[in-house]
Amino acid sequence: MLYFEFEEPKLYRSVIEDVINDVRDIFLDDGVDEQVLMELKTVSWRKGRNGQQGTLINQKNMDPEKEHGANKIEEKKEDENVPVLWENKLMQSRAVDGFHSEEQQLLLQVQQQHQPQQQQHHHHHHHQQAQPQQTVPQQAQTQQVLIPASQQGQLDLFSYNFDMKFVILKVKTNTLAAAPQVIVPDSKLIQHMNASNMSAAATAATLALPAGVTPVQQILTNSGQLLQVVRAANGAQYIFQPQQSVVLQQQVIPQMQPGGVQAPVIQQVLAPLPGGISPQTGVIIQPQQILFTGNKTQVIPTTVAAPTPAQAQITATGQQQPQAQPAQQQTPLVLQVDGTGDTSSEEDEDEEEDYDDDEEEDKEKDGAEDGQVEEEPLNSEDDVSDEEGQELFDTENVVVCQYDKIHRSKNKWKFHLKDGIMNLNGRDYIFSKAIGDAEW
Amino acid sequence: LYRNTTLGNSLQESLDELIQSQQITPQLALQVLLQFDKAINSALAQRVRNRVNFRGSLNTYRFCDNVWTFVLNDVEFREVTELIKVDKVKIVACDGK
Repeated sequence: MLYFEFEEPKLYRSVIEDVINDVRDIFLDDGVDEQVLMELKTVSWRKGRNGQQGTLINQKNMDPEKEHGANKIEEKKEDENVPVLWENKLMQSRAVDGFHSEEQQLLLQVQQQHQPQQQQHHHHHHHQQAQPQQTVPQQAQTQQVLIPASQQGQLDLFSYNFDMKFVILKVKTNTLAAAPQVIVPDSKLIQHMNASNMSAAATAATLALPAGVTPVQQILTNSGQLLQVVRAANGAQYIFQPQQSVVLQQQVIPQMQPGGVQAPVIQQVLAPLPGGISPQTGVIIQPQQILFTGNKTQVIPTTVAAPTPAQAQITATGQQQPQAQPAQQQTPLVLQVDGTGDTSSEEDEDEEEDYDDDEEEDKEKDGAEDGQVEEEPLNSEDDVSDEEGQELFDTENVVVCQYDKIHRSKNKWKFHLKDGIMNLNGRDYIFSKAIGDAEW
Repeated sequence: LYRNTTLGNSLQESLDELIQSQQITPQLALQVLLQFDKAINSALAQRVRNRVNFRGSLNTYRFCDNVWTFVLNDVEFREVTELIKVDKVKIVACDGK
C-alpha cells in the first residue's frame, strides 16, 4: 500500500507532465492557446482522481486538504487548459493521491497567465511570458490572497479578485476573439471553489472571469456538485457554485461597449451566505437562462442588449425576478411516463382500440395489462441478491498489461505479464512484472 | 492499450470537454492521445519497478490478434506489501515483445 500510495501519484504526475510537454508543441502548431493545454491537464487530473473511491491512507488526509485548498492547480507552467482538465479528472477518480501544495501555486500561475493572455489575443507563448511581468503586482495580491482565502478572508479575496477581474473584463471586451483563453481560469477557479468550502471571494473570482466564451462547461467537483459555467454567445458568463460559502456581494456589469452588439455582459453574482445556510442543491443552466435551485434562484438572460435589467436582477439575492425572458424557478423535473408508469396509457390505448374489435387484441391487451401488473411486483423482486458483489464495488477490476509468456498444461495456466496498470476495487495499482497461476 | 485506464480515460474525457467547447480540434485530441500512448508506455517501462503475484481460477480465455483476454474469478493479487482479493477480474494483455 505504501508503495502504491507514494509512487503512483508521482508516476501519474510525471506521465501527465510528459504528455503535456510533448503535446504542447502540437498545440502550438495547431494554433491552440496554451491555456487550453493547462486546462486539459488539471481537469483531466481531477477527473481521474474523483472518479474512483480510493481508500488510500494518505489520500484520506489529502482529499479534505485538497478540497479545502480548492482544487488548486498543480503546475507552474504557463501552458494550461489541457493539463488542468486532466489533473482535475484524475483527482476525481481518487485512485491516486493529490498534489496539494502544487495546486495552489498552479492556480496562482493560471490566474497570472489569465490576465496577460487575455490581453494577448492570440499571441504566442513567448509573448505570454513577457506579459506576466506586467501584471505581477496584481497577481501578487491575488496570490497572497488566494491562499488565505481558502480559509478566511472571504471579503478580502473578493475585493481583490473583483478588482482583478474587473480589469480583465475591461480588457476582455475588446478581445472577444480571445474568448477561449478564459476557460482556463474558469475551470480552475471553479474547481478551486467547489472542491473546498471556498470563500465568497473565490466564487466572485470565478464569476468575475471575463465572459466572451461561448461553450458551456460542466465540471463535476470533488464533492459531486455540478458546477456549470455558462458562457453565452454574447459573452455573459455565469458560474454557479452550490456552496455554503458563496457570497453575493457585488454585481459588476461593465458596460464596456456602449451600444455594442457583442458587448459581453459580465455579471458577478455572489450569494452572501452567512454561515449555516444550507448549500444549494443544484444548478441548472440553460442556454438562455440560468437557474439556481436551492436557496437562491436567479434568472439571468444572456442578452447583451439589456445589461442594466440584468444587473438589476442579479443584485437581488434569494429572489426571483421576472425578466423579459420567462424564468423557470425550479429545476425542470423529468417525469418518466413510460415503462412502469405506462399502465394508464396502456389502459387508455386499450380503451381506444376496443372499438377496433378484435377480441384477440383485447385479450392480448388484457393479458398484457395483467402481465404488466403482475410483472411489476415480480420485477420489483428482482435484484434482491447482492449486486455489488462481495467486494462492495461496482468496478469491474481490469488489468491492462503486456504478456511475456502465457503457458498452459491441460487446464493449468501460467501467466507471465509485465508493465501493467491494474484497477482493483476502485484503486489503481501498477506493476512491472506479474506472475500468476489459474486453473480453468 | 492504456487508454482505458484511469489516467487514459480522464485524459479522453478532458479532451472531449475541450472539443465540445471548441477549444481544440478532434484531430488535435487524437494527436494528444497518440502522444499519451507513447508517454505511458515509456513511463511504465522506465519508472515502475515492482512485482505482483496472483492466483485464481480461469473463467474464460481468448486469444485474438495477438491479444490475450482473460476473465479470472476469485483471484488474489499479492504484492510484497499487501494482498488484494477480487471476485472477478479481466486481464487484457498485448504482446510484450
